[in-house]
Amino acid sequence: MIFEVFRQETESDYHEHVGNVHAPDEEMARLFAQVMHARRKPANSLWVVPKEEISEVDADDPGVAMGGTTQKAYRWATNYSTGRMAEEIEASEAEQVEAEARRRSTRSEGGDD
Amino acid sequence: MDLSTVKERAGPRQFGPTDDMPREYREAATRMIQFHANSEIMGAYIERPFVRQAPSLDRKLAVSAQVQDEIGHGQLLYRAAENLGIKTREEMLDELAAGEGKFLNCFHYPLGNWYELPMIMFFVDGAAMRRQATLKRTSWEPYAHAIDKICFEEGFHIKHGEDILRELATGSRRDQELLQRAFEKWWPRILQFFGPTDDQSTHDDFSQEVGLKTMSNDDLRNAFLNAYLPKAEKYGLEPPEYPRVEYHEDRDHYEVYEEDLDWDEFFTVARNELPTGRGQIDKRRRSQDAVAWVREAIETTPASGDTPAAAD
Repeated sequence: MIFEVFRQETESDYHEHVGNVHAPDEEMARLFAQVMHARRKPANSLWVVPKEEISEVDADDPGVAMGGTTQKAYRWATNYSTGRMAEEIEASEAEQVEAEARRRSTRSEGGDD
Repeated sequence: MDLSTVKERAGPRQFGPTDDMPREYREAATRMIQFHANSEIMGAYIERPFVRQAPSLDRKLAVSAQVQDEIGHGQLLYRAAENLGIKTREEMLDELAAGEGKFLNCFHYPLGNWYELPMIMFFVDGAAMRRQATLKRTSWEPYAHAIDKICFEEGFHIKHGEDILRELATGSRRDQELLQRAFEKWWPRILQFFGPTDDQSTHDDFSQEVGLKTMSNDDLRNAFLNAYLPKAEKYGLEPPEYPRVEYHEDRDHYEVYEEDLDWDEFFTVARNELPTGRGQIDKRRRSQDAVAWVREAIETTPASGDTPAAAD
């Protein structure tokens, strides 16, 4: 069986997918996950999940629209010029700018398929 | 984990569903997150009529996106609260419908017209955002997790709110007058957003000791006034003479004269007894009832099976 492994580095981090392991059962999977993914790198917690238990929505699936591929400028802080804002608003906008930059780079990498 | 260990270990995102938390902590966190979730939902219902009343297509799209976001925030927060094992999401939604669920004072008042909308979208949401930004460091990890997404989205709401404010403030004389009137009406409620001063708040101390809250209401109110009063001035809005707000430059502090505010009304609101607030609660309950059949249909559908929908 294949188990997907998600590693959380410190307790304030999100769990991130780091790979998978082959194991006959959950107990062994947990052990292998530790050896493979938490031995050299620091880890606070691991999620070990049977691969077939994971439901996936793929961006290429018919009828699926994810990640802002449509023009929705009105939905972003960057669309409004209101001068200097409170620091937490500026922080929120900075996150949106970063997300937009990631979307752009994904789009250009993906080409026009 | 006993309470003294919790207080000792309390720090940003320190505790989660795998920790054995004492009941006092779980109850305090539930109260706080449920209040926040309820407020998101009730806020969405206050703003919803303006999807229809928006004066342009751009505004209509942006307002509907905002309402959609707020409902999503409510859902995220109910999940974070549910993790504490005190109440289920269903129980919290039923409490809200029954008039037992508490939510922000400002959402107990109806929005009279388009000029009042930025009072919520800019000032009230701005105050909420000030508070939420400090909750990225709350000790209940699932709460902080939800706050990450909320803060990511909320910047758009406040800037859009300010954009509406600016448009009206630079509009006709009539626009400016109606905006000033809306501001005077909402200003005392906005000042009460952070509640009475700390010595009167019953839950503050404990929440701070266990790291659920990281900043006192007084400090939050002050930070809010620091950032938002200059904005009001920028758009030519004049705070009414009463309630008095005095700036003390030596300690960079805004003193709000509490005795100028109507605390009887505030506590009537807090008990969910203000007639307009009851109206809002009932309105949402009717919506909940109206779609009960959808929830039932979803929950009684077998997870797998040969239903026509599954065959598609």
